[in-house]
Amino acid sequence: MGLSVDGGKLEVLQTHPSDASAELGRWVFRLASAVLILVGVLQILDATGVADFGLTDWRPFLYAFLLWSVALGAHQVLTRGEAGQQALFVLPGLLFTLAMVIFPTLFGLYIAFTNWNLNGASSHHFNGLDNLITLWNDAYFWNALGNMVFYVLSVLVQYAIAFGLALLLNAEIRARKFFRVAFLLPFMLSPVAVSWMIGKSIMENRFGPAATLARYLGWEDPAFFTSPWIARTSIALMDGWVWIPFMIIMLLAGLQALPNDVKEAAKVDGASAWQMFKAITFPLMLPASMTAIVIRIIFELKLADIVINVTAGGPGGATDTVSSYIYRVYRDRSDIGYGTTIAEVYLILIIIFITLLLKATSRYMRKMV
Amino acid sequence: MELGQLSAEVAIRASAKGRPREHAHSGDLARAGGRVFIYAALIVWTFIALFPLYWTFTTAFKLGRDVTQGHMIPWVDFAPSWKGWQSLGLSPDSIFQSWQSRDEFVKRFVNSIIVSLGASTLALALGSTVAYGLSRFNYRFGRWGNKDISFFFLSQLILPPVVLAMPFLVLYKALALLDTRIGLILVYTLMVLPIVIWVMRDQFDTIPTEIEQAALVDGCSIWGAFLRVILPIALPGMVAAFILSIVLCWNEYFFSSLLTGFDAQTLPVMVASQTGSQGINWWSMAALSTAAILPLVLIGIFLERYIVMGLTAGSGK
Amino acid sequence: MRVGIYNQLMAMQANRREMLKGAAGGAAAIAASGSLGTMTLQAFAADSVVSQVMKIPGAGNGSPTDADWQKVGELCLGPTKETVQPGEFKGVEFAFMGLNNQNLHNFLFRGFLKPWEAYTGAKIKWIDLAQADYNARLQQTIASGTVDYDIIEMGAPFEGDMGVKDLLSEMPDWVKKQIDFDDYVNYLKPPVGTWNGKIHRTCIDSDCHTMNRRTDVFSDADLAKEWKGWKDQAGLSEWGPPKTWQQVQAVTKFLKGKKVKGKEVWGFLDQPKPWGGFQFYFTASRATAYVKYPGEKNWLFDENMKPLITNPGWVRGIQDVVDLLPYEPADQLNADPGTTAFQQFLTGTGSLLEWWGDIGTVAKTSDTATIGDMLDFDILPSSDDVYNFRKGQWEKLSTGPNQAPNMAYLGWGIYVMKSVDSDSKRHKAAWSAAAHLGGKDLSMWTAAYPSGFQPYRKSHTNLDLWALAGYDKKYIGSYMDSQSTSYNHANSAIEPRIPGIFQYYSIAEDELTRVFAGKETAQQGANNIAAAWEKLTDKLGREQQVKYYRIAMGLA
Repeated sequence: MGLSVDGGKLEVLQTHPSDASAELGRWVFRLASAVLILVGVLQILDATGVADFGLTDWRPFLYAFLLWSVALGAHQVLTRGEAGQQALFVLPGLLFTLAMVIFPTLFGLYIAFTNWNLNGASSHHFNGLDNLITLWNDAYFWNALGNMVFYVLSVLVQYAIAFGLALLLNAEIRARKFFRVAFLLPFMLSPVAVSWMIGKSIMENRFGPAATLARYLGWEDPAFFTSPWIARTSIALMDGWVWIPFMIIMLLAGLQALPNDVKEAAKVDGASAWQMFKAITFPLMLPASMTAIVIRIIFELKLADIVINVTAGGPGGATDTVSSYIYRVYRDRSDIGYGTTIAEVYLILIIIFITLLLKATSRYMRKMV
Repeated sequence: MELGQLSAEVAIRASAKGRPREHAHSGDLARAGGRVFIYAALIVWTFIALFPLYWTFTTAFKLGRDVTQGHMIPWVDFAPSWKGWQSLGLSPDSIFQSWQSRDEFVKRFVNSIIVSLGASTLALALGSTVAYGLSRFNYRFGRWGNKDISFFFLSQLILPPVVLAMPFLVLYKALALLDTRIGLILVYTLMVLPIVIWVMRDQFDTIPTEIEQAALVDGCSIWGAFLRVILPIALPGMVAAFILSIVLCWNEYFFSSLLTGFDAQTLPVMVASQTGSQGINWWSMAALSTAAILPLVLIGIFLERYIVMGLTAGSGK
Repeated sequence: MRVGIYNQLMAMQANRREMLKGAAGGAAAIAASGSLGTMTLQAFAADSVVSQVMKIPGAGNGSPTDADWQKVGELCLGPTKETVQPGEFKGVEFAFMGLNNQNLHNFLFRGFLKPWEAYTGAKIKWIDLAQADYNARLQQTIASGTVDYDIIEMGAPFEGDMGVKDLLSEMPDWVKKQIDFDDYVNYLKPPVGTWNGKIHRTCIDSDCHTMNRRTDVFSDADLAKEWKGWKDQAGLSEWGPPKTWQQVQAVTKFLKGKKVKGKEVWGFLDQPKPWGGFQFYFTASRATAYVKYPGEKNWLFDENMKPLITNPGWVRGIQDVVDLLPYEPADQLNADPGTTAFQQFLTGTGSLLEWWGDIGTVAKTSDTATIGDMLDFDILPSSDDVYNFRKGQWEKLSTGPNQAPNMAYLGWGIYVMKSVDSDSKRHKAAWSAAAHLGGKDLSMWTAAYPSGFQPYRKSHTNLDLWALAGYDKKYIGSYMDSQSTSYNHANSAIEPRIPGIFQYYSIAEDELTRVFAGKETAQQGANNIAAAWEKLTDKLGREQQVKYYRIAMGLA
C-alpha cells in the first residue's frame, strides 16, 4: 500500500516496529487478500453459473471486504508503527467511501456511453460519442445551464442578506436566542413541503397571502410564475428562504470568532460603523464567507426539488435547472444512458468550476491575511 | 492565519457567554435610531422565516376551503378542524381506534429516526477521524496528497444523486441491501460524510497542536491523545455536524423512495404522497409536515447554541 | 341484509349465489336497456349487498374512514367465500405495490383486503409509492430485476412495458366469472387490458376526459343578453354551454372580465404546465375532435408509428391553447391539471374544464370544493370539421360535428405478476385478492365515494344506487351520462399502450411548454415533437415499436 505519512503538521516521534511484528502484519494482509480474492472468484463463478455454491447474493464478498479492511488497518499499524497509526485516521473513511462509490461510479461511466433506455426493446449497447453529440445539440441542457448562472449568482444575494442578518444577530440584542432559533427553523422544512406550502399555496395567484400582499402593495395581478424573470426570481426566493439560515449560522460563527481587541482598537480611533465594517469586519470575514459561499454554490448547483414541484421548469424552460432536467430525462423518460451522460458532463463542469473558484479564492484569502 | 490560532477554549468561552458588552453612549440619537432599525430588521426577518411555518402549522387545522380562500387566523376567519390529523389517525376521535395511516406513519417515523441517527453517528465517527488526520498529518497516497483526499471527499457532494439510481439498485440488489435500514444508513452516511469532514476539519484546525504535544509527552499514543484530549474539546463542533447531518438525512427523499419498499420506508415519501392525481390534501400534508418537523424544531431549540458554538471555533479559519 | 342475517343464511345453506345473481343481473339488464333519465325501477333488491354498501357511511356523515373501508370489504366478501375456503391461503404472504395517493388507493385497498386476509389467512405487505415516483420506480425495478411485488396497481398505459417482457399472469376463467367481466364498459374490453390476446387486468377504474361546466354561468340572464350582441358566436346563437371547440374559444374570449353575481368569471381553463407526462393528455383532449377520424383507430401515430402530431388538426388543437391563454387567469401558464381542477375550478374560478371524472364526485363529497351543485357534465366538445390525415384535408362530416372523447390513461387496474404462476396456492391467492378489489359490489362503492376511482361498469349507471349514497339524481344523471357516453362512444380516442409511451408524452410536454410560453409557434413545436418522437422510436427499436403499436391498437 502506498499510503504513507511523511512528517506532519503535528510533530510525532516516528517509531519503527520490530521485524517480527512487521512480518506478522505482512502475513495478516496477505492472508486477508487471499481470502478476499478467493471469495471474489467463488462469487463470480457462482454468478456466471459456472459453478453453484448456493450463493444468493454478494454478501459474502461484502464480509470478506470488511475483513480485508480490518486486516489492512492491522497491517498498517504492525508494519509501519506510528505512521501506520496515523494512516488509521483516514483509512476507514476512505475505504468506506471507495467501497460505496467505486461500483456506482464505474457502472455510471459505463452507462454514460450506452444507449440504455429502460423501455428499449433490445438490450443496451455501447454507442460511443453519440450521447455527447446529442448533448452538444441539446437546447434544453444549454438553456438549463444558462439558468444555473442566474441561480449561482443568486447565492451572492443570499450571502449578502445572510451576512446582514448575522451582523444583526451578533449585535447587542435582547431575546437573542429566540431570534437565532427563529432564523434557523426554515432550514428544517422538507423541500416537498416548502414547494407546496410556499410555492403552491402562499404564492398562489388568487388566495395566497403573498399574492394578497402584493395586490395590497399595488401589483394588480401578481403572477409569480408566469413571466420568465419573475418566475426565476420566485424560485430563487424560495430557495433562499430555505438556505439563508444555513449561511447565517456559518457567518455568525465566523463573526463570533473575530478577536475583540481589533474592534476595540478601531473604536478608539473613532472609526464609524461603516468604516469599521469595510476596513475590519468584512476583510476578516472573507475566509468564512468564502467557505460559506462555496458550499452553498455546490448545493445550489443541485437545485431541483423546488423547481420540479412548483414550475416543472416552466414557463418555457425559464426556471429549469440542470438537475431538474436530468430528473426528467432519467426518471420521467427512463433514458438512463443519456441522463447519466448529462450528469457526468455536468459533474466535470462543476469540478472545473469549483477548482477554479477555490484557486481564485485561496489566492485572495492568502493576500488578505 | 492568526484567527486559526485562537485557542479553542477562548473561542468556546466567548461564544458561550456571548460577546463582552459594548459601551453604550447614553443619549446618542443615532445609536437609538440604529437600535430601532436593528429590531425592525430582526422582526421583519422573523416574520419572513416563521410565517410559512405558521401557515403550515395552521393549515394542518384547516379544511380545503379555508386554504383556497386564504384564511389565516384560527377562530377569527376559520374554525379549526381536526381533519388533517384525523387523516393520520392522530386526532382526538381517531387516536384510540385502529387506523392504517397512523400505523404507516408511526412505522415511517421510527424508521426515519433510526436511519437519521444511525447515518449521522456513523458519519460522525468516520468523518471526525478523517478530519483529524487531514488536519494533523501529511498523507501521500501515490500522487495524492491531503488536498486531493479532501477534494475526493468534497466531490462526493457534487454528483446529482438521480444518476446513481440504476447503479445503486443493481449494487444493493447484489448485496441484498434493498429495503433495509442498514442500506439506507450507508447511503446517507456517504451523503453527509463530506459535510462532517468539512465542519470537523475546520474545528480541529483551530485547536493548537501544543495540546496533543503535551499529551504525547505524557505518554499518550496519538489515538489516545485524539480520543481523550482532542475530542472533548471538539465536542461542540461534533454536535453541529451531527445536527446538520440529521436535518439532511431526515428530509432525504430520493434514495428513500428508490431503495426501500416495505420495511425501511421513511417519512418524506409519505409527505409527497399527499399530492397526486387528486390534487393535494393540504390538511394532511400540513399535518404530516408539522409532525415531521417537530423533532427537528426541538433539536433546533435545545441544541442551537451548539451549532453556532461548534462552527465558531472553525469558521474563522 | 345485515352481516348477522347473512351468516344465518349461510348456516341455513341458502343458495346465496342465485340470489345475488338475480339482483345484479337485473341491474345490468336495466342499465343496458334504458336511457338513464327514464329509469324508475328499483333495479336491485332493497336488502342486497350493494344497497347496504352504498349507505356506508352515507350522506352527511363525512368522508369514509378506515373503519368504513373495512365494513365495505367485509360485506363484499361473498364472491370470495364461494371460491375460497376459510383459511385456505394460510402461510401465503405477498407484496402489493400501489400508490399512496392522498392516503387513498393503497390505504383503501388495505381496508378492503383486511377482512379478506382474515377470511383466507393470507398476509399482504404493502409498498406505497408517491405518484411522482411511480413510473420511474416501475421501469427501474423491471430493468434491474428488483421486482419485489406480486400484485401491482397499474395504469393500462404500462401494459406494453409489462407485456413485452412477459411479466404478467393471465387472468384465470374463474376470476373472469367472479368479477363479471362482461359488465365492463365497451372500451375496457380487449384489446385494452390485454397483451397479445391474454387478459391481464382486473379493472378498478376507468378514465376519460369530459367537460365540466358551471350551470350558474351558462344560465345567467345578463350574460345571455350581452351574448346577443357578441360578434363571434361560433354558431352558439343562444347563450348556453358551448358544444364545439370553436364555441369554447368564443365563449372564453367573451367571458374575460365578466362578472356573475359580483364575482369574476372565467371561461375555459387550460393546463399548460408539465405534469410528469400527464399534461399531454390535456393537450390531446384539445385535439381529438380535430384529428380522430371516425372509423380510423390511429390518431397519435399512423400504423407505421409515424407521428401525426404535425398535421393541421393537431396544430390547430395546440394553437387553440395558445390563442386562449391571454383570456385565462393571470398565472395560467403555471397551472398544471391538478391546479386547474382543485385550486381553480372546484373553488369557483373558471366555468369550463376538461378533466377526469373525479370532478363530479369530488365536488359533492370533498370539502375542498366550494361550487356545490352548480355543475353539470358533458362529453368533450366536438368540432365542426375534422382532419382526415389519409386524404390530407379537412372534412365536414355528413353526420354533423365530430365527437371524439379522449380515454386518457385508460384507468387503473390490478395486475398479478407472473412470478406467482409457479405456485398454485399463491396464484390463486393473488388472483383472489385482485378479484376482491375488482368485485362488482365494491366497485359501485368506489365509484360513488372518494376513492380516486371512477365508474367503469355498465351497471354503474344505476342511478338509484347513487341515490343511496346521497346523490341528487339529476346531478348524477348528467354526470353518468357524460361518463358512459364517452366510454361507449364509437369514435373514442384510445392511446397506444406501447412500451415507453410516457417518454413520448414527457418529451411532448417539454416542447409544448415552450410553445405555450411563446418561444416557438405551434407548428414548430409540433415538428420538434415529431422529430424527437422519431428519434425515440429509433432508440427504442423501430421494428419492435411498430409491432407493439399494432398489438396495442388491435390492428394486427
